[in-house]
Amino acid sequence: MRILVVEDDEFIANALDLVLSEQNYAVEIAADGESGWELVQAYEYDLILLDVMLPKLDGIELCRRVRSQGYKMPILLLTGRDSSHDKAIGLDAGADDYLVKPFDQEELFARVRALLRRGNTSVSPVLEWGELRLDPSSCEVTYSGRSLQLTPKEYALLELFLRNNRRVFSCSAILDRVWSFDKTPGEEAVRTQIKGLRQKLKAVGAPADLIETVYGIGYRLKLPSVNKLTLPSSEEPSEQTRQQTLTALAGVWERFQGRVNEQVTLLEQATTQILPAQLTVEQRHHAEQAAHTLAGSLGTFGFAAGSQLARKIERSLRAKKSMSQTETKHLRELVAALRRSIELTPPELTTPVTVKQELPQLLIFNSDRHLAEPLIAEAGVWGIQAEIATQLETARKAIALSPPQVVLLDLDGNTADSLALLVELKHRYPSLPVLVHSNQDNLMTRLEVARCGGHAFLPKPVPPAKVLQAVTQLLPKEATAAKVMVVDDDPQILATLRSLLEPWGLRTICIEDPRRFWETLEASAPDLLILDINMPHLSGLELCQIVRQDSHWCGLPILFLTAYSDANTVNQVFAVGADDFVSKPIVGPELVNRIMNRLDRIELLRNLAEIDSLTGVANRHKSTQDLERLLNLAKRHHQPFCLAVLDIDRFKLVNDTCGHAVGDTVLRQLGQWLLHSLRREDIVARWGGEEFVCGLYGMTSQDGVQRLTDISIGWQQQQSTHPQCNIPITFSVGIVHYPQHGADLESLYRAADKALYRAKKNGRGRVVAFKETGSSDQLSVASD
Amino acid sequence: MTAKRILVVDNEPYIQEVAQICLEMVAGWQVSTASSGSECLIKAAAEQPDAILLDVMMPEMDGLTTYKELQANQATKHIPVIFLTAKVQPADRRRYAQLGMKDAIAKPFDPLQLASQVATTLGWN
Repeated sequence: MRILVVEDDEFIANALDLVLSEQNYAVEIAADGESGWELVQAYEYDLILLDVMLPKLDGIELCRRVRSQGYKMPILLLTGRDSSHDKAIGLDAGADDYLVKPFDQEELFARVRALLRRGNTSVSPVLEWGELRLDPSSCEVTYSGRSLQLTPKEYALLELFLRNNRRVFSCSAILDRVWSFDKTPGEEAVRTQIKGLRQKLKAVGAPADLIETVYGIGYRLKLPSVNKLTLPSSEEPSEQTRQQTLTALAGVWERFQGRVNEQVTLLEQATTQILPAQLTVEQRHHAEQAAHTLAGSLGTFGFAAGSQLARKIERSLRAKKSMSQTETKHLRELVAALRRSIELTPPELTTPVTVKQELPQLLIFNSDRHLAEPLIAEAGVWGIQAEIATQLETARKAIALSPPQVVLLDLDGNTADSLALLVELKHRYPSLPVLVHSNQDNLMTRLEVARCGGHAFLPKPVPPAKVLQAVTQLLPKEATAAKVMVVDDDPQILATLRSLLEPWGLRTICIEDPRRFWETLEASAPDLLILDINMPHLSGLELCQIVRQDSHWCGLPILFLTAYSDANTVNQVFAVGADDFVSKPIVGPELVNRIMNRLDRIELLRNLAEIDSLTGVANRHKSTQDLERLLNLAKRHHQPFCLAVLDIDRFKLVNDTCGHAVGDTVLRQLGQWLLHSLRREDIVARWGGEEFVCGLYGMTSQDGVQRLTDISIGWQQQQSTHPQCNIPITFSVGIVHYPQHGADLESLYRAADKALYRAKKNGRGRVVAFKETGSSDQLSVASD
Repeated sequence: MTAKRILVVDNEPYIQEVAQICLEMVAGWQVSTASSGSECLIKAAAEQPDAILLDVMMPEMDGLTTYKELQANQATKHIPVIFLTAKVQPADRRRYAQLGMKDAIAKPFDPLQLASQVATTLGWN
């Protein structure tokens, strides 16, 4: 990964170079904005670290320039100023994140990693898998440099696999994604295409099973053989490699456990049966050697504590030929602790590391461990991994090591420590939500918490479920993994389902008690529901009826899991509105297949209903909802909200002269250009014909004019280099903002439309903000 | 690029095996092993590996002696050596550096990071 650091302070630049290089990033330094810009144009960078105050061209300007030229690498601003205004200017200029100087190294690394992760998914111009390479911009596919000639279907199939390289696709899922609706053939067609693709891959030297058949489920890409990969050290081993390695290590542990036991026994003999003072030189040497080996190896197997104990034992054996009674006793205790530590199952090697890491993390800070334990248990139910810290120092370490998604702070134990932690978190991890839990429910405490930067306050007493509900609401929303909620009174079934579904990237929310159904449903908003039929208090059939009655949830797919498969039960299940029915015992692939198909179908329908198929931006229906939502948010938080209406100039002429196909391409390009140029949270939609609408939260029309002017300039520059047809294509923009120009979407739209007509009338290709100038706004429409 | 070949030297068979797994599975390198300093000298000369991972504390011939022997032999002089040691004190590091050693990797190592630690130390990126 290549990082460009634009920083004029030599000391900071060198420090960044040093610490980032240690993390195996390739770092280049530019000392002013202009030379930064030259480097951006000359080389490819995965990330830019940008100082704001720079000679020649300041960071904000550079940021705008980078974005206006269509560069999409993530930008992290380093700023000495921490006012919200400064941050907003930076983010609006196109930065993805900012860090206030002086910053913490840990945090810098974490943010850099986060941005690079994000960058990979959105940018990744070329898709690669081992030796296989697909370049979507030129539609070229190669294997170890040898080119493949693919049919459009084969190409689409390969692209689908490469873009979702961890997923298995069933035949029907492939049909849905690769074939168009009106022409869906049978599953046989998929098999024929896969066969053709495999033959072509084989012909250029790829393994025949590069596209692997997963029995009973479908197809996926096979992991490239590890021997062919020379791993760049900056990359983490892939998940599969991790798993394979850890499994192999668990095997070594099993085979050599006897040997490790012997070594511990040797230590036991040396320290318990014989007094250390009476050991012969040889015995002492053997004991030292054993302790040394254990110190060096146990940690690798996942027994970090064991390694530390062994090291202490080694040290005290070496240091002291004669020991006092207390020292001898201490040594024996160490050996006993070592024995206990290796009798536990190695944590790292047996639990599926993948699943643990993908779960959202919650850190509970409470000086009383007992009080926090019910919360830990409850968190498991909600698909959250919770950890307790009872000391300020442990909490700090835990957060630095792996920042959680949410922190739950108990105020009632050591209030001073809790507040200190709160202040520290606010300063060092401003975006990390902190939920404060306290029985001091009074105004002063609430005020204190608010001043220290708490995100939410929860007065006690509250049942653990409510606490977790509050935590769930604070979780970052972008978690895209589909969520499956399972209700079954048998914990064994819940555990099985979780272990079955989570490796597929499905977040699984499990509840045992159906009486807690509704609150969990609302809080977790699952994409699919799995119900057992027979449960105490409430049956699955009843739950299903309740869901189907509710106007919001009635569309939720429901799958029944039951031990009965008689006709009567099956009838009943479908009569109450189930979508699918699976009988126990659970057959893993079948269940996964059914769930994945169901989820694919929902996603597809959702896209169909919400995305404009020509341009890939939101359609009018969907964007209206989103715009209303942002408008409400703006009302509630007294923020401005900018609405822009865009129209391609002389679009009819484009269609007439160059043909409708070119016209469609222009529409698609503009849709994508807007999507890429605006912020992630902005709304881009096509409202029909050549008209686009954009919603920019937190911006006034002045900001909007600036923004859209940049975008328009960028578009024109891009157009001149890639001529689609000989007519220069420009667009006009009308801009308004809430609350000044209207209180609801409709009046805002009308005002923006007026501004748009003025832009057209004044010569097109320009961005015009709405001005109340009496009758002149009523002027007739420029004829386009 | 052909896979790197590494010689792992440790008197403890399970550490040999663990290191082997970590380097083979994670980085796809070829690993051979030796259980003592004298075995290391023979294998290093015969196999000409791209690097040697050498345990410091071994009975009979310890790591430092083995290293000196490797350096004394024209056939093995050029092979980079990384110490694998449970003791890495700053003083040790200085001593290793004076001897011309590449670096030392502390035991216990993180199984998933060992390969990248080796690659970084040797500048194989």
